Amino acid sequence: MASPAMVTLISSDDARFEVTEAAATMSQTIRHMIEDGCTDGGIPLPNVPARTLAKVLEYCNKHAAATAAESSAAGGAAAGSDSGSSSSADSAGKDDGVDLASFDKAFVEVDTDTLYDLLLAANYLDVKTLLDLCCQKVADMIRGKTPEQIRQTFGIKNDFSPEEEEKIRKENQWAFE
Amino acid sequence: MAYFPEEVVEQILGYVTSHRDRNTTSLVCRAWYHIERRSRRSVLVSNCYAVRPERVLVRFPSMRSLSVKGKPHFADFDLVPAGWGATADAWVDSCARACPGLEELRLKRMVVTDECLKLIAGSFTNFKSLVLVNCEGFSTAGLATITTNCRFLKELDLQESVVKHRGHHWLNCFPKPSTELESLNFACLSGEVNASALEGLVARSPNLKRLRLNRRVPFDVWYRILGRTPKLEDLGFWAVTGFYLRGIFSVCKNLTCLNLSCAPLIQSADLINIIRRCTKLHVLWLLDHIGDEGLKVVGFSCPDLQELRVFRNNADAATLTEEGLVAISSGCRKLQSVLYFCNRMTNAALITIAKNCPQLTSFRLCIVELSSADAMTGQPLDEGFGAIVQSCKGLRRLSMSGLLTDCVFLYIGMYAEKLEMLSVAFVGGSDDGMVYVLNGCKNLKKLEIRDSPFGDTALLAGVDRYEAMRSLWMSSCNITLGGCKTLAASMPGVNVEVISGAGASIDEADEASSNAKKVEKLYLYRTIAGPRGDAPGFVSIL
Repeated sequence: MASPAMVTLISSDDARFEVTEAAATMSQTIRHMIEDGCTDGGIPLPNVPARTLAKVLEYCNKHAAATAAESSAAGGAAAGSDSGSSSSADSAGKDDGVDLASFDKAFVEVDTDTLYDLLLAANYLDVKTLLDLCCQKVADMIRGKTPEQIRQTFGIKNDFSPEEEEKIRKENQWAFE
Repeated sequence: MAYFPEEVVEQILGYVTSHRDRNTTSLVCRAWYHIERRSRRSVLVSNCYAVRPERVLVRFPSMRSLSVKGKPHFADFDLVPAGWGATADAWVDSCARACPGLEELRLKRMVVTDECLKLIAGSFTNFKSLVLVNCEGFSTAGLATITTNCRFLKELDLQESVVKHRGHHWLNCFPKPSTELESLNFACLSGEVNASALEGLVARSPNLKRLRLNRRVPFDVWYRILGRTPKLEDLGFWAVTGFYLRGIFSVCKNLTCLNLSCAPLIQSADLINIIRRCTKLHVLWLLDHIGDEGLKVVGFSCPDLQELRVFRNNADAATLTEEGLVAISSGCRKLQSVLYFCNRMTNAALITIAKNCPQLTSFRLCIVELSSADAMTGQPLDEGFGAIVQSCKGLRRLSMSGLLTDCVFLYIGMYAEKLEMLSVAFVGGSDDGMVYVLNGCKNLKKLEIRDSPFGDTALLAGVDRYEAMRSLWMSSCNITLGGCKTLAASMPGVNVEVISGAGASIDEADEASSNAKKVEKLYLYRTIAGPRGDAPGFVSIL
């Protein structure tokens, strides 16, 4: 089997990461750069520091490998002549699904700063499933909280005037609750 | 930490769905306020007079689903005179003008005309869901404009609405050759239904999951339909005879929701045979002729039951007692919501129920005979209801009946911290009762009281509370016009409506004597829209 195509990614703080093209192209941003032929000497990602990029690549490697396993299992099942091999491939695929879900869950069990950095990186790199995962996690953290708790959690400044804030609070409560 | 980019906030908010959390996020900062309002698709307006429709559409330009509630809850008991208001016109007009993408409209206790339905049918090209709960003012001709024009309709639900019969054509007009219909409820319709039209509709609605037919559908038709709706999860029916029972048994095991509250003709033995097989039920609505013995069967057949409603069957003398509900509480430990009409109750039974089902969030008990005492001891039921509020920490809704004194209100004020809605009829001793509740229940949103001895002192004790509450209804109590005026003068953000009998109006000639006059009905609610412009003559907004 031929060794998979590799690409080099360069973080904002000049760390270099060798990854498979399959993992790297989970990022639509990187995919477009490769398509445009901007890969010589590595792909610079000036918005993503090494610490965050490593984390994003951990996610991409895991998911790219799972996708590869799934498609080879599906290919094997389609090509396979005896039913025994296809059913074992099916169950392997299922295990991967469970495994990925728990990987995802654990992956975003991080402190708020890390989650925030991941969110920005996923947005910049355009890794849709990772962005969804991070957004879902932030939404979970928002649920049931007060506005002040949300501001504190994410370091957001309250830029309402007291009158504005009171007016919105009142409209929310009186009309939309 | 820096700010979230706008598109990321929008993505995050896509996962925040509850109205309360959406409201919260709108208060975080200016950027979030605007992103939230521009992306909110589902809007709930809990009182049609609390805000003007134009304002709703300006704030939420991407709205796709709108729910509006109209008349106060006691309208269900005919306490709100005809012509009081809550017409849907202004809401539908505004949406038709500013929100052509509207997909879902849910109206509760509102007056909806055929003209309104016509406007809905002609204005929203991608309209999917019309839910009219306890509405009135329209006919089957209006429904025909909906079924003719709304090609993507998934849901048509007329739950307990009053619909004039002007032909059965409407059922024929659903799209051909196939419909998107998932849910259809026309149980409230009194008129004839064309059986072949109905069978045809079911045959071309492969996604139908929820079906509630009216009394006019012959049973053999109903039975044939049952065989064609394999996805059915929710079922309501009227009558069944021995011959067809076996056929029903086959769908029972998949049902999670069963409504037999309009089936007075089913023998209770047959009823029990059906329920025995419905082991996955989450929701069960019944008539009281099931009897205590029948409820015992529910108790051990339906371990997953979350909601039970047992209504009164006017046809014969009710037979339910405290025993039925106790049996339910010991078998159905996941019970969250109860509505129960019965002939007698005891404190001991209520204490047992409270202990068995501490996760109750809604408890509505109606003892048919007014002011019934504990059937064993002759004592007031204060201790029983006290036990309910004390052990059910998450209780949000409570309706009480029976012989009750100020003491029960003391318990409610002390323990019912999460209580949002309290209905009180024919109970209480003095003003103190209402004062306990107003001072104690910090989360109270709606308080409705009828035929209870609360006066101006109690009413005015809540001055500091009413802006934090959605509404207060008081009828046939001891409040006076003077008291209501005092209240209105000190609360400019609250509409204080005094409702006289239809046709009568308040005589302002002699102020002193008019101030002392008892107010028959008071409806008070906070609003950012100011006094409404459509009040009829018998309503005075003070």
